[in-house]
Amino acid sequence: MNLDVRSLRTFSRLAHSGAEKAAGSLTTLVGIDTYVNVTKVELGTKADVESEFSERDLVSVNIGFNGGLDGRTVLAFSPESAERLVESLMPGIDATDADGELAASSLKEVANIMLGGFIDGWADYLDTSIDITTPTYVAEGGDGPLEDVDPDGFEHEDETERILVFRNQLEAADDAIGFDLYMIPSPESIQTIVEASGDDGALPVESFAAFSEMISDGAAQASDDISAMTGIETDVEVSRLSFVPIEGVPMSLTDAVRRGVVLEFMGTPSGYIAILFDEPSAENIASSLLPGMEDDEAMRQSAIQEIGNIVTSGFLDGWANALETTIEISPPKHVHDIGSAIVDPLATDLAQSQEYAFLIDSTIRTDDDEFTCDIYALPDEAELRKALEQLAPAA
Amino acid sequence: MQVYTTDTPTSTSGRIKVGIAEFAVDTDGNTLTTSGLGSCIGVALYDPVTNVSGLAHAMLPEANEGGKPAKFADTGIESLLAEMQASGADPDRVVAKLAGGSNMFDFTSTNGGMSIGERNVDSARKTLDRLEIDVVAADVGGDHGRSLELDSRSGDLRVRSANAGDQTL
Repeated sequence: MNLDVRSLRTFSRLAHSGAEKAAGSLTTLVGIDTYVNVTKVELGTKADVESEFSERDLVSVNIGFNGGLDGRTVLAFSPESAERLVESLMPGIDATDADGELAASSLKEVANIMLGGFIDGWADYLDTSIDITTPTYVAEGGDGPLEDVDPDGFEHEDETERILVFRNQLEAADDAIGFDLYMIPSPESIQTIVEASGDDGALPVESFAAFSEMISDGAAQASDDISAMTGIETDVEVSRLSFVPIEGVPMSLTDAVRRGVVLEFMGTPSGYIAILFDEPSAENIASSLLPGMEDDEAMRQSAIQEIGNIVTSGFLDGWANALETTIEISPPKHVHDIGSAIVDPLATDLAQSQEYAFLIDSTIRTDDDEFTCDIYALPDEAELRKALEQLAPAA
Repeated sequence: MQVYTTDTPTSTSGRIKVGIAEFAVDTDGNTLTTSGLGSCIGVALYDPVTNVSGLAHAMLPEANEGGKPAKFADTGIESLLAEMQASGADPDRVVAKLAGGSNMFDFTSTNGGMSIGERNVDSARKTLDRLEIDVVAADVGGDHGRSLELDSRSGDLRVRSANAGDQTL
């Protein structure tokens, strides 16, 4: 199977317009302004998606689809968002009641309308008919939404298999309700969509999968390096490659204040990296590196810069090896600012020559939540494609 | 399956969020918000008589082929003004406030020339000048990010930052 940037763009546009329809349905249904924040085409493993659900204690409703396309759509909420949504759907109902049946059934109703609208757009594009199954509610801590609740049209058995996920972040009522709309097509259906959008000059999907694996390895190396440096055990929570409209890159972050470093890397590919901590994490990391000196701002900055260096080289060295190239790294620049504003200039610089971006994001976290470190890498799209050709098996 | 028709959302929360490469117009006294301006430029337009207001969040200075107008300062401002005019604003009365366009990093691509932030501010000012709209206040440049809230009842533009203080233009 081959994937090219043109089909990724088609995917992205389809997913975005489907999500806008879904958001519009919710606005009409409950009178809550709903916006599509970001639409991403992500390549990750089933385990990545599942672990995100368990880490964030998400509740979800999933609906299978089959016919012209097979797969599953999932509407996922934080428990707080689910409660607020139920309250606005049915004022006066206690969404936290013991059996929660009313809450579950109203969320199922929302999902039915939103996901149905989302799938309609794909059916129109492919000029086919797609049936949807009845919604299944999965409570917080339940089996993951990718478990085969309804076996129809869902074939991702292997935890480590790379899957394409269309993910839309939606927000309603002035950020009070946030949720994600996922669509996970079966491998055969991805092929169907790719064929419909034409695949001239495409790269085998294996190249993307290989790159995605490289990113996971890089994140694991960075995590090991942080552990070695701070003496605190860390793990990679997520590591993803996604394809996103360039303006969606800063919008993937909130306006919470972050501290960290930004670096430029030069080679094939070139691009930018931001390594960001929330404020408590930054303080914890500084105090573990420099016990007793964490109140000194200059020392704190240099500790964060040092971590930035370590993480970046751990993250990028694997790429340079696999791509048989040299990647040079600029000195890290310390930042302490609104999260989305930190990433904005990086995306804007690339926006001069590309409309979409490959966004790599990884999260490294300690078991006890002592700190969380987010790594965002933005390679130049054309250069990355060139680099990926190296990974493609010889024809 | 199509159960409900979808319409353009009208605000129920009193706040309308403007994403990157988007603009929005309000005629109902809502607050228009946008966040995470680094090198991007925020342009607030306001007609003090009809209270028709608009906020644009543009990424790049000048339009190129195929991009959506709101992504660029020049076409974004033109489109925003046209939409405001269609909603009852009189361009002769409309005034502008600018915020954003900072220069947070010294990238090699800048190559000693003007940063994108500076070019965004420059393009916004030139476009407004050409459209004969006065810039009555600005908080641009520097090396920090900003988030904006435009109160369409008063035309006040609140500018928030992480470390550089907050102010109202």
